Amino acid sequence: MEGLTSTSGEIVAREIGVTFQDNAGRDVQAITNINMAIKKGEFISLLGPSGCGKTTLLRCVADLQEPTEGELWVEGMTPKEARLQHKFGFVFQQPVLFDWRTVKKNVELPLEMMYQTKKQRGDRAEKMLELVGLSAFKDHYPRQLSGGMQQRVNIARAFGIKPDILLMDEPFSALDEFTKEKLHEDLLRIWRKTNKTVLFVTHNIQEAVFLSDRICVLSPHPGRLSAIVDVDLPRPRTLEMKESEHFNELVKIVKNSFEGGSFS
Amino acid sequence: MEERMRKYKRRKSILRRLSESPKAQKVETVMLPVAFGILVVALWQGKILHRLFHTDTFVLPVPTKIFGIMGGITDKVIGNTIDTLLVAGIGLLLGSIIGYLVAVIASFLPNMGKGGLTIVGAFASIPIAALAPVMNNWTKDVSTEASFRSMISKILVVLLIAAANMGLNAYRGLTELKPYALDLMATYAASKRRIFVKLQLPNSLPYVFIALKVSVPASIMTAIVSEYFAEYITGIGRQIRENIVLAQYSIAWVYITVACMIGIVSYALLMVIQSLVLKRYR
Amino acid sequence: MKSTLQWLARQTWFQVLFWTLVLIGAWEAGATLVEMTKRMPANIMPHLYQILQAAFSGQEVSGGMTATQVVLKASAATLGRAFLGFLLGALAGYMLAFLMKLSGVIEKMIFPYLMLIQLIPVLGLAPIILAITGNINSSRLVIAAILSFYPVATNTLAGFKSVEKDKYDLMATYAAKKRNMFLKVLIPQSIPYFFTGLKVAAPMAVTASILVDTLQGDGGLGCILSQALKHAMSIYVFWLIVFFSAFVGIFSSILIHWVELLVTPGVVVNLLRKLSIGKEAGAYGRKNEKVQKKKKYPSSVV
Repeated sequence: MEGLTSTSGEIVAREIGVTFQDNAGRDVQAITNINMAIKKGEFISLLGPSGCGKTTLLRCVADLQEPTEGELWVEGMTPKEARLQHKFGFVFQQPVLFDWRTVKKNVELPLEMMYQTKKQRGDRAEKMLELVGLSAFKDHYPRQLSGGMQQRVNIARAFGIKPDILLMDEPFSALDEFTKEKLHEDLLRIWRKTNKTVLFVTHNIQEAVFLSDRICVLSPHPGRLSAIVDVDLPRPRTLEMKESEHFNELVKIVKNSFEGGSFS
Repeated sequence: MEERMRKYKRRKSILRRLSESPKAQKVETVMLPVAFGILVVALWQGKILHRLFHTDTFVLPVPTKIFGIMGGITDKVIGNTIDTLLVAGIGLLLGSIIGYLVAVIASFLPNMGKGGLTIVGAFASIPIAALAPVMNNWTKDVSTEASFRSMISKILVVLLIAAANMGLNAYRGLTELKPYALDLMATYAASKRRIFVKLQLPNSLPYVFIALKVSVPASIMTAIVSEYFAEYITGIGRQIRENIVLAQYSIAWVYITVACMIGIVSYALLMVIQSLVLKRYR
Repeated sequence: MKSTLQWLARQTWFQVLFWTLVLIGAWEAGATLVEMTKRMPANIMPHLYQILQAAFSGQEVSGGMTATQVVLKASAATLGRAFLGFLLGALAGYMLAFLMKLSGVIEKMIFPYLMLIQLIPVLGLAPIILAITGNINSSRLVIAAILSFYPVATNTLAGFKSVEKDKYDLMATYAAKKRNMFLKVLIPQSIPYFFTGLKVAAPMAVTASILVDTLQGDGGLGCILSQALKHAMSIYVFWLIVFFSAFVGIFSSILIHWVELLVTPGVVVNLLRKLSIGKEAGAYGRKNEKVQKKKKYPSSVV
């Protein structure tokens, strides 16, 4: 549980709680008493079953939602300040691409909001598309791409603004196993190259173990942090590691760390 | 850095919580349009609307006067309303049935059916002003009774518009099935007739109502407009026109009010029927 | 041979052609029957060739003009106003939807009335609008505008509302200003819905304008139509106008569909690619077509 109470770090959460009102006007607690501190350059997963509030927590970090209790800092700023300064990129579960823009124009979108010149935008977008291996498709429209390719565009777009932090909300959950593995490798490669802090939400234990430095395990009703598991697999990670004894051990540890036992 | 880390415990202010509460929203949704409506009627009654449109109370009588006159000629109004409603109702009913049958036939002709419906749908875009005189000519020999053959002619116009609407939508309802539904039926070795009764027919019901939502107001509008061209003088639409020609604007406004009311009431009726019929679809 | 026929039967253009021919056949059969049994067949159902003959004959029917000249001159007045009213109505409709999106108060205030106006037989108000404006040209314009206004407003509003929550969130993470939200997301996404509204509105505007003509003699299409019916000129002028206005009504929707294709990003580029560079681009072109078909927007929003 190292770093749990530290106040320094890229992302710091202290006693975060979110309560919302349901349709009948009753208070429902989505998450409660979340403490965490994430270091610069770390790859952290928020892992848990649906209803554990992992997405809610991520949305609080991104200032898409306000915590009703507690304190939250992103690079020493409030989430809102961080958002206004384009400190993070957000990757949604759905690719959220714009039908009327070409692939390249989709990647350029956030850069337009940052008042970059046309040339700067174009160069940056092409570089990012090269990084995700989609240079040949830059003039295509999203509807012409497969789901995996669309998610690549999404990732290229998030990296395009040179954010310090990458927030990812189950980005690969809609993809098939083969595409997912390929994108795992791509994501890790780009992450190593750019040295971003990544906060990755998932409900897939293998995925969390394969990608992360540390896994924050959340349990539902109400959503709370039940364990933090260090993943000491060496880097760079390779697909063969998934076959290893140690990998399976880690998966087992994570599984057992859910409160109330198993993960089903 | 430490001083930047000020606490920002967020509790929404009472005012914000109040205005965002579902109850307050509901009240707003009702009160705002009502207030707007009252404002318009007040402007109308206070003759400010007249100044805006550069007109006078002779052409645009105030609401109280319209309702006053309506009370005086109730019998005539009811008679004309019934005539219009008969045309709109019969045309809508027959047209919808015919449109549905056309859609059924088209759905059994997988290749040629769709193109046929494109043609049927095009009928909805033919101006009523062109259709109505043609129907008048075609029904000249139907009866020696002018009132009767006029009615048939008007019904035919409404029928055509309603059929075009229903045909297009019903075809979609009969053919746009849930994925794998046909495959599932095939695993049951279901006959074409069975598939139609158990799958296509129920699937098309919501689409029937989509069509009706368009064709109920459309058939009232069509009935009213085709009255302009009819040989026999009757119906709400014709009364609007005749009274304006005679410069009896306030009587014309009585019929306009009635026309708006039957448009709204018939739609409300349709919504009630829909909620009853489609109860199991939600 | 058989496979060619099957291929043809699957082509939409062939189906439409086939059924058009069937319709023509039915009309001609009817016309022949009418010719044999009725006293004045031209009033009821003339042969199509007779109508065409009337259209292309140099014979003067009224004021030194041939039938076609009469129809074209009349339609210039009628359709010109219809078009202008249509543009004004569409613009007003889009603006209102925009305002409603901008302000929740305005939306709540106006929305029920926007629904109500659809239920009111607006065409039935034509005579009174003529009485209020006192001018045939401005009433053509006003009625065409009112009829175009509400399909555009409701469909555009539906377009604004179709923007997914994810897109709002995405733009929020970019700290996008409201202006950018409209320019880069809401407006582009509303365009297909806007066109759906236009497709509903266009035939209505044509109908409205012709109808207003019949209320007052001023040389519009509807006016000539009534005159021809009363045998003030050749009855074939009547049939010419009937077919012409039916054509304009139907074609107005198709025309807007073409305009929509023209402004839809990628469609023209794909078409050009398909035409010029054969195979490689063709594959994508076809794929694109397929997706486009799947992506049907509601034909009208009620």
